[in-house]
Amino acid sequence: MTATFVRHELKAFWRSKNTGKSIAVRVVMGLLILYLLLIVCAIGFNLDKLLLKGGGKTDIVVTYCGIILLYYLSDLFTRLQLQDLPTLRVQPYLQLPVKRNSLVRYLAFTALLSVFNLWPFLLFVPFVLKIVMTDSGGWVALAFTVSIAGLTVFNNYLALYLKRKANINGWVFLIAAAAIILIGLSDFLWHFISIRKFSYLFFGSLIKYPLLAVIPVLLGAVMYYLNFLYLKDNLYLEELGSRKDTKYKSSTEYPFLSRFGSVGDLAANELKLIFRNKRPRSALIMGLFFMFYGLMFYPNPQMNGEGYKVFVSMFMTGIFIINYGQFMYAWQASHFDGLLVSKVKFGEFLRAKYLLFTMVSTVFLLLATPYVYFGWKTLVIEVIMYLWNIGVNTTMVLFFANRNYKRMDLSKGAAFNWEGMSGNQWILSFPLLIAPFIIYVPFAILHQANTGLGILGLVGLVCTFTRGFWIKKLEADFHTKRYTIAEGFRNK
Amino acid sequence: MIEIKNLKKVYNGVIVVNVPDIHIKKGESVGLVGNNGAGKTTLFRVMLDLIRPEAGQVLSNGEDVAGHENWKNYTASYLDEGFLIDYLTPEEYFYFIGGLHQQSRATVDDFLAGLTDFFNGEILKKGKYIRDLSKGNQCKVGVASCLLQNPGLLMLDEPFANIDPSTQFRLKSILKDLNKNKGVTTLISSHDLNHITDVCDRILLMEKGVIIKDIATSSSTLNELEQYFGVGQIASAKTITEE
Repeated sequence: MTATFVRHELKAFWRSKNTGKSIAVRVVMGLLILYLLLIVCAIGFNLDKLLLKGGGKTDIVVTYCGIILLYYLSDLFTRLQLQDLPTLRVQPYLQLPVKRNSLVRYLAFTALLSVFNLWPFLLFVPFVLKIVMTDSGGWVALAFTVSIAGLTVFNNYLALYLKRKANINGWVFLIAAAAIILIGLSDFLWHFISIRKFSYLFFGSLIKYPLLAVIPVLLGAVMYYLNFLYLKDNLYLEELGSRKDTKYKSSTEYPFLSRFGSVGDLAANELKLIFRNKRPRSALIMGLFFMFYGLMFYPNPQMNGEGYKVFVSMFMTGIFIINYGQFMYAWQASHFDGLLVSKVKFGEFLRAKYLLFTMVSTVFLLLATPYVYFGWKTLVIEVIMYLWNIGVNTTMVLFFANRNYKRMDLSKGAAFNWEGMSGNQWILSFPLLIAPFIIYVPFAILHQANTGLGILGLVGLVCTFTRGFWIKKLEADFHTKRYTIAEGFRNK
Repeated sequence: MIEIKNLKKVYNGVIVVNVPDIHIKKGESVGLVGNNGAGKTTLFRVMLDLIRPEAGQVLSNGEDVAGHENWKNYTASYLDEGFLIDYLTPEEYFYFIGGLHQQSRATVDDFLAGLTDFFNGEILKKGKYIRDLSKGNQCKVGVASCLLQNPGLLMLDEPFANIDPSTQFRLKSILKDLNKNKGVTTLISSHDLNHITDVCDRILLMEKGVIIKDIATSSSTLNELEQYFGVGQIASAKTITEE
């Protein structure tokens, strides 16, 4: 059965409207992963020397045992943001004589095929073989390896479980991320817990009692089982359809928007789209998570430079543009035909997008103003990046939107079939992330950082005021692509 | 009103629509019939500039629909649920469509009051989003939004398919009224031969992308159509037994 699923998924991949784009993304991703793997390998094989240098007088085994759990904490954080969720369109199989368990098992097992699960082995196992084996013998080395495997599996499924939950309710993600950040801060900033000591407590004991390796394995198994059960439950949920919610749905109005005429109507519709569908709502709430980026970077003197501030400010004020915009117009895929034949002028349609982006970015800028605590320049940079976002990034995002042909179904259950925050998606937003640095970095190198910032702001401002021109360009571009987009969106 | 010239649409080397020349005059009521895959929906989509034809053009009031948007001012259409914004309530959707045609909310409310019978109490003030409605009720919303636009040209793709018998009869009388009393040009496709011959004055029969018959409806039309579709069945049944 697994082989059939794999075959079907390969077909889905090759026959999708976006195959070209997906392949390009995968190639870039592959190269990036290869590069990272090489680095991790190098670190892994030289870990003993590195620890000797960095650990001072403490025994390297103690330092080693200390960093393992630390690694897993940051690993969890990275996974939450980058790891892909395995997907399979389950609906067509549900009424067929396919065992539910085999469907779920397929989804659960393919989740293990992630590079994230390779890293801990490359990082920690060479040390086990080089040092632990010679010091304490084969059994202890085996216990270490098994523990690492167990923790990896645990982390893998915990991250996926949280992501699946977050998919339905964005707050889950926010709370999980905040919890991880708080744990980190209470060790490194407030010093009232020590993850390293806790980690040594376990791995130190492992040297004396190798049998303790059972604990991480159990943790991994329990997490797997939890995932399995969750997926299985949701198999039923999806089958029952979306008619479960019986609350009275009332009509809403945004009087503020009505002054913009039909552009305002379109923007109001899109706001409703965001608030009434799980996935775009999650995208918005996850945007709030990036408000924490300042807290993660600014208190750290090493990451307080202006280059970091440019980066962080761009995220904080523009995350909605990046995160929501990169799937654009597919949010409206299900009624795109209707939009095309209705009296909506495409120029107005684009104007509504600009209006929406500007509104949301403005709100995020206001939310980010408290960071003035880290110096007035922080606020200036935030405003500059805000201008950049509403001026340049909006236009870039819409340019890419003209090239997105893949349908997205908002009404379907989100737990199984979705694209959200994952490494692949971030690749697509790369151009958006690099662009400001192409302007800023040369000036920073020449010690003219302020000029660089000034130019960023100016470009943003100019682009904002020449929107009419860009809208015309985008409209002309759209008219060459409209049939392909509409056809792609019709492909379920 | 509508002129189709040398229209060709090809998918994977197969011609799915091939219409050399068709005129539809203002005030005509035209029915489009044909088996699955005959190219009815594709023809509709080309006429609404949703698909780019390989050759030929569709003129609406003398202007090519592709690349122009004037036709949107007087054309209302409903092909499938893909035309509805499904996360809105029906009321919100009607206000949106009305707003596009510069109608105030009061005007829209007045208009909807006239459709009470057609809605049969299942659309308005039910506290549901369009996506939570059944297919038939979604079809009612789509048809009503077309009527709301006071169109000069109305295009519906299989409007009778998902709605209940009472609504089918109500829809038929609405369509007749629009055409006979208000001069609206209507273009409707259907698999229901009784309904289509009842509503339309002219029937176009499509087969494999080609319009093979263009008949003015008379008392014998239904019979003629039944024979065409019935004969097809007998012929295919024969080939099966021969194999």
